[in-house]
Order: sequence, then structure tokens, then C-alpha cells
Amino acid sequence: MKDINDPVKVQKEILKKVYLFSLLPIISSLLAGEFKVLFGFIFGLVIATLLLRLKYNNIVRALSMQEESAEKFIRNRYFLEYALYFFVLFTAARNDNLNFLAATVGLFMIKFVVLLWTVADLVKDSFQNKLDQYK
Amino acid sequence: MLEFSPEVANTVIKTASYIAAGTALIAGVGPGIGMGFAAGKATSAVRRQPQARGPIITTMLLGQVISGSTGIYSLVIAIVLIFGT
Repeated sequence: MKDINDPVKVQKEILKKVYLFSLLPIISSLLAGEFKVLFGFIFGLVIATLLLRLKYNNIVRALSMQEESAEKFIRNRYFLEYALYFFVLFTAARNDNLNFLAATVGLFMIKFVVLLWTVADLVKDSFQNKLDQYK
Repeated sequence: MLEFSPEVANTVIKTASYIAAGTALIAGVGPGIGMGFAAGKATSAVRRQPQARGPIITTMLLGQVISGSTGIYSLVIAIVLIFGT
């Protein structure tokens, strides 16, 4: 992660990587002609992007509050977000034009990318350390 | 051996899956409490060191994104239990 001091830049970087990774399932489902999978994945991805933005706005708002009220605020917002996730997954499960599993993977895409990114950074750092020791 | 008619067996399976879905949703409460706690601590950290606001927001955002996923796993399981049966 290059710009940890600028959360907006980090967000943009995450989204860029997420869309780059998402090209693989999007193109493969297009080539296979699985349009339900494509629509489900895009639906999940769009909602995940919007919820990331919402989370950032909530965090910025919470930091200007007192400790107890920030705690309550973030907790309440999490439960609202949880309800939104429920409605999204419920819609994907009920709608015949959307694939439920694809929508789930789309929702989890940001989390997968953040985890992969962190693991890649760790591996890169340890490899660099070993290289420096060897020198 | 005890035998049930298909209707009774179906009702028992549906009831059990609804109870299991409700139980799975309890897992969504934990991340909410943890996130709230982290937010409270981050607020006091920003008050102590205002120059570290950027890294604190970034760390909190990434932490909340990852910690929220366990709740969604349980939600997915619950929805599969509700609609899969």
C-alpha cells in the first residue's frame, strides 16, 4: 500500500484493483454466454462499491464524534448495512435473472482483493528482507 | 421404526432450516459490536494525535471491510438455508 496517509487514494486504488480482478469473471461469463452469472456478479459488485463508499463516509463522520457516540453510531450503521446486504442477497435469491452465487462473489470481491493485496505485500516485504540480508 | 409421511417430513425439514437460519444470523451481531469498539478507540486516537488521522481512517476502513465479511458469510448461509430447502 503506497499512500496510507490518504484514505481516498487507497479507496481508489482498491477499486481499481477490484475492477481489474473482476474483468476475469465478467469476460469468462460473457464468453460462456452465462448472462445470469454476469448480471448477478455486476449487481453484487456495484452494491459492494457503493457500500465501501458509504462505510468511508460513516467513518469520517464518526471521527468527529465523542468516543461513546462514535461507537453507537458505527454499530447502528453496521446493522443498517447488514440489512442492506440482506436485501441484496434476498433479491439475488428471488430474482430468476440473477445468479445468487455470482452476486455473493461480487459482494465479497472487495474483501478478497484487500486480503490478496495484504498477503502479496507481506510476501513482497519478507522476500525483500531476505534479499537485503543476503546482500 | 418411526415413519413420517412426506408432508410431515417436509415440514420438519423446513422448520429445522428456518431455526438454523435464525441461529446463523446471530453471527452477524459480533462484527457490529467489534466495529463499534474499534471506531470508539479510533476516535480517541485521532483526538490524541490529529496528524495521524489519514492512516487511522485507512486502517479502520480496511479493518471494517474485512471484519464485516464474517457477518455476511452467516447471512449467505441463512439465505441458502431459507431458499435452498
